[in-house]
Amino acid sequence: MTDALRAEHIFKHFGEGDTLVRALDDVSLTLEAGHVVALLGPSGAGKSTLVKALGLVSLPDTGKIWLEGELVVDDGRLLGSLTELRKRFLGFVFQRPNLIPFLTAQQNVELACEIGETASPRKRARELLEWLEVGHRAHAMPATMSGGEQQRVAIARALANRPRLVLADEPTAALDKVRGRAVMELFQRVAREQGAAVLVVTHDHRTLDVFDELHEMEDGKLGPARAA
Amino acid sequence: MNLAYHDVRHRVGRFVGTSLGIALLFTVVLAMAGIYLGLVDDATILLRSMRADVWVVQQGTRGPFADASRLDPSIVSRVSALPGVTRARAFTYQVLQRAPLAREPGRSLRMALVGLDWPIDRGDGLPIVRGRALRQAHGELVADATLGLAVGDVLHFAREEFRVVGLTKQVLSSGGDAMVFGTLADAQLIADDAPSDAIRAERERRTERLRATDLGRAQPQLEALTDDPEFHPPVLPSPPIAAVLVEVDAPASADSLSRVRGALAAWPDVTAYTTREQEQLLLDGAVEKPRKQLALFSMILVITSSLLIGAVVYMMTLDKTHDIAVLKLMGASTGRLAGMVIQQAWAMGALGFAIAVAIGQQAFPHFPRRVVLTTEATLAVGALVMVISTLGSLLAIRHAIRVDAGKALEG
Ligand SMILES: Nc1ncnc2c1ncn2[C@@H]1O[C@H](COP(=O)(O)OP(=O)(O)OP(=O)(O)O)[C@@H](O)[C@H]1O
Ligand SMILES: [Mg+2]
Repeated sequence: MTDALRAEHIFKHFGEGDTLVRALDDVSLTLEAGHVVALLGPSGAGKSTLVKALGLVSLPDTGKIWLEGELVVDDGRLLGSLTELRKRFLGFVFQRPNLIPFLTAQQNVELACEIGETASPRKRARELLEWLEVGHRAHAMPATMSGGEQQRVAIARALANRPRLVLADEPTAALDKVRGRAVMELFQRVAREQGAAVLVVTHDHRTLDVFDELHEMEDGKLGPARAA
Repeated sequence: MNLAYHDVRHRVGRFVGTSLGIALLFTVVLAMAGIYLGLVDDATILLRSMRADVWVVQQGTRGPFADASRLDPSIVSRVSALPGVTRARAFTYQVLQRAPLAREPGRSLRMALVGLDWPIDRGDGLPIVRGRALRQAHGELVADATLGLAVGDVLHFAREEFRVVGLTKQVLSSGGDAMVFGTLADAQLIADDAPSDAIRAERERRTERLRATDLGRAQPQLEALTDDPEFHPPVLPSPPIAAVLVEVDAPASADSLSRVRGALAAWPDVTAYTTREQEQLLLDGAVEKPRKQLALFSMILVITSSLLIGAVVYMMTLDKTHDIAVLKLMGASTGRLAGMVIQQAWAMGALGFAIAVAIGQQAFPHFPRRVVLTTEATLAVGALVMVISTLGSLLAIRHAIRVDAGKALEG
């Protein structure tokens, strides 16, 4: 079975001379489909930078990235169309839900389905919301929903295009303990039931039991995988 | 899913409020266009209602409205004889200020008096809104309603009574004076009805001229008749006319027009213009300056409104920077994002324009100057609004395209 993501020898530097920051220093990583992986590490370790590099948001200086066996970044250069690759492979969940404020929950997900060109977007949006247990809030505007509800809608939205790789940068930072844990468990379900690889940046050590693998980052270097 | 629509719906109050502001600007643009068209219409309505194909005027002048054109009346019959001419009529034109109203003796009226070639021309082409055209050779007038006269009003000129039998609407000279129409003979009678000193001087001139002729010397008793302003001894030259209005047999064919004009070009004493050319001369003279002014105003307004739409749409887009970043991470195409921005600009322009048209329909009839808004002019302003909206949204589109998708991952 091909890996959902493979990254080799990723480097990313910021600044130069005295102010040079090696945000990513020879990072290699493989994410398996159906696995939830946690990315841990102190502030400034380079976790967000790695997520952006893997999500093709901010490309690495050098290194190669494969998505589902397809080489998409070679020596820091993007191969293919960014919007196409995002539509085909990637789903993002942010620290804050970042729902489009002028669309209802249902419309937020439906829009993502439309952009991701999934068949019958309305039906799929409805199903995803039900699956994430926020079906009853489908017609609510984001401003009227709780943080936990919004984050569930945001996850539904990230799944709209059936991504092979879901990237989440501190998705529970704005939630309380109970809701935070519920969201982490959702990521586990996403990996198991939707068959996606899920990479979650987190500082919350109380929920690590949810993950299949843990990676620690420090000073731009990625430590070896260890079991939870 | 239409993002522009949902966004606008989400903050409909703000959107409508802004559109209202823009609408006021567009109303002024519409008013400018309408006032200009009103000027043109005012200036040319007389010309058009005279229903002539060719205007024959004194050699080298630019017609009765621009210059003092004086032609010998015999030219009418000479022109009638030209092949291709179906009808030739005399036309006189004088601006005068008198106080002829019987029921309000003190009130002074300023008018442009036109003499129609009775009986061929009874003013049937005039836009008469009340009453009728002329039916008698003498003593009837058709006046423009802006003079404040009513059908049946009696005017005193040259110690005779003239009855207002018809009223026209907005038939004004390019100077804004109301038109009054009578038969040629009446018009000359009225024009010659100068104050008493002038009458005495004129009478003396006539007597002198009469004495200089064989007829006057042979029949001195004729001198008594010079008191009568209608008296035109046959040997005295008839009073001049301002123009000859010519109708050709096939007015639609350029061929027929140019044949008649070609013939007239050989005459040393006249210049001929088509109605179109007369219209153009009139517009060049009377409307040129206000047109430039209105055009300049409109230009400033157009620039202002595109800047305003631009600023508003830019602000709306700036507000959505984070949402746009999120949409980009979701894989939204540039076309979809630019579409959202430009559709909002169009919606704002269209709504503003619709409100402006509605305001205009209510307000323009109350303007002191006439505002004429043809469908074509309205559509042209509408098209301009769309161009303005498109231009205004360019900066916002640039911003949307440049938003860094990574912003979505931060905070
Ligand atoms: N755009 C940038 N320009 C310059 N330096 C940057 C930029 N982005 C990140 N860095 C630097 O790279 C290093 C890694 O940053 P990163 O945001 O990846 O850390 P992080 O592990 O996500 O930290 P946190 O847990 O606080 O979110 C930091 O030293 C940061 O200052
Ligand atoms: Mg971070």
